[in-house]
Amino acid sequence: MRGMLSLALGGLLLAGGALADPVGNRADGRKLAGQCRTCHGLDGKSQMPVAPNIGGESETYIRAQLTAFRDGRRVNEMMTIVARNLNDQQIADLAAWYAGHRITATMTADPAGAPEQCVACHGADGIRLIDEAPNLAGENNIYIDTQLKAFRSGSRPSEIMAPVAAELTDAQIRAVADWYGATQIAIETVE
Amino acid sequence: MTRKGLLAGLCLGTLLSGPLAAQDNMDKLTSMKRTDATFTTVPQDDDRATALKDIVPFIKVPDGFEASLYAVVPDARSMAVAPQGTVTFVGTRKDKVWSVVDRDRNRIADEVKDFAPSVTFDLPNGPCFSPDGFLFIAERNRVLTFPAAEFFFEGPDPAVGVVVDKGKLIPAEEESFNHTARVCRVGPDGKLYISLGQPHNIQPVDKHQMYDETGIGGIIRMNKDGTGREVFTRGIRNSVGHDFNPANGELWFTDNQVDGMGDDIPPGELNRQTKPGQHFGFPWVNGAVEIPEYKDVPRPEGVEFTAPAVEMQAHAADLGMRFYVGKSFPEKYHGGIFSAQHGSWNRTKPVGARVMFTPVDTEGKAGTPEVFAEGWLDEETGEYRGRPMDIAFLPDGSMLVSDDFAGAIWRIAAKK
Repeated sequence: MRGMLSLALGGLLLAGGALADPVGNRADGRKLAGQCRTCHGLDGKSQMPVAPNIGGESETYIRAQLTAFRDGRRVNEMMTIVARNLNDQQIADLAAWYAGHRITATMTADPAGAPEQCVACHGADGIRLIDEAPNLAGENNIYIDTQLKAFRSGSRPSEIMAPVAAELTDAQIRAVADWYGATQIAIETVE
Repeated sequence: MTRKGLLAGLCLGTLLSGPLAAQDNMDKLTSMKRTDATFTTVPQDDDRATALKDIVPFIKVPDGFEASLYAVVPDARSMAVAPQGTVTFVGTRKDKVWSVVDRDRNRIADEVKDFAPSVTFDLPNGPCFSPDGFLFIAERNRVLTFPAAEFFFEGPDPAVGVVVDKGKLIPAEEESFNHTARVCRVGPDGKLYISLGQPHNIQPVDKHQMYDETGIGGIIRMNKDGTGREVFTRGIRNSVGHDFNPANGELWFTDNQVDGMGDDIPPGELNRQTKPGQHFGFPWVNGAVEIPEYKDVPRPEGVEFTAPAVEMQAHAADLGMRFYVGKSFPEKYHGGIFSAQHGSWNRTKPVGARVMFTPVDTEGKAGTPEVFAEGWLDEETGEYRGRPMDIAFLPDGSMLVSDDFAGAIWRIAAKK
């Protein structure tokens, strides 16, 4: 049944001239997530400072990052190894599983203090406003700091983030990281 | 305009408004001025503490020993017990250094609060003490020192000095996260020894020479004022634990091996260094295992690789280690090495999450390692209850085990 469905969808997409993106299957994604959970948790809540929260990200974002790790456009000493053997279907399955959880943020600070250069995409509380952007709410500030510096140096390539990060000093980067890191989050597991 | 272009434009447009800057109080603190920083205190008697105590019965220790919860310490990493033993400083891979206080010496922490909240720390994993009471903290890319920290920690604005300026430990463009947890020790020669993990799984070929010269993928040493820096140890991948043999002053260190070569290679390592500048083989080899990426890269001329003194189970992640100098453990442990295995992150069947013991004889040679404490890994489900990261000893000879997964410090003591 599933095969038929993806066949049909694939046919439609191909007819429309686009590349056939596999449809993610959450049950398969849950099984595959066994190799993610030591660091990211089964619900996508980070288990260690170096790993970001991924529960409740958009499917678009998770797919894009896993594909970038696999194809070598984003490099990380752990993720490069994990992602190198994933096929498109598995990436879609994992994205479906982790994107399916519900993340909520509670911010105690005045939203007026949010970093203006970030809010259009990441929100004042760090919950994304567009699917291409990750949630930043409740992320370890050192993780956000590290990523912004990687965008600035070009070691994590991004057309959107490179020019934003290029304008930031170390202190400004840390202030952005501290702002989003301070938001409390809850991730509700959706089976 | 494409959607991407539009987004970039949107973000750029709002960029210059709103001055944003994190407070870094180093100027004030180095001139002994006060800040308005306040402490964060970690409750020691809430639901979290109860949940941690429920883990204690799972911790298996040899006959004659007992395990307990010493303190609730979020993200607890490398530890430094102050010379008087009242307070233990604990690093994290976040932005806090915790001070863990046991004033009444009942071997349960009375108070856990952040140390020097006025300082903007950046991945302050590694605290260590000099014998005369200077606390050093090795961050991702800076080293600070706090004189008489054991007494000044009570206030939010302790005296502080800079040993290595921000951005001078490693080139800023080499900063990463995962292999950036520094460990420090003051050696028998009075110098400060700091491990510098290299930021990759295997460093790109065009970087290995610069790394070797800088001490990235090695251990550096310097005078306590930051002068006289030199590379002391070469050819390491990512060491997150070292200590000096108190019997003869030799440096020993753990190393973490290459990922992605399978479940059972390369082996974990405990290394013994007998003279300055020794090369331990990485990135050409991990122990006896050759790294394929470097097969055709010429090895450094005139250099003999030093093999590990002890091979541990592959991917168990040997991290913090310390020689036993206490008296309260039985004779067989005296002068030997206790080391923490953090546990594997992507092995098919998880291994590790335990404390190992390796005897060291009077000639300074290692014997066969054995498991000292385990039970933090649920063998049935493969899930961690905790992940031991570092080992330290209180003045009474009992052991502290930091755990950055559970957010705890466990204590293991010989029964009286």
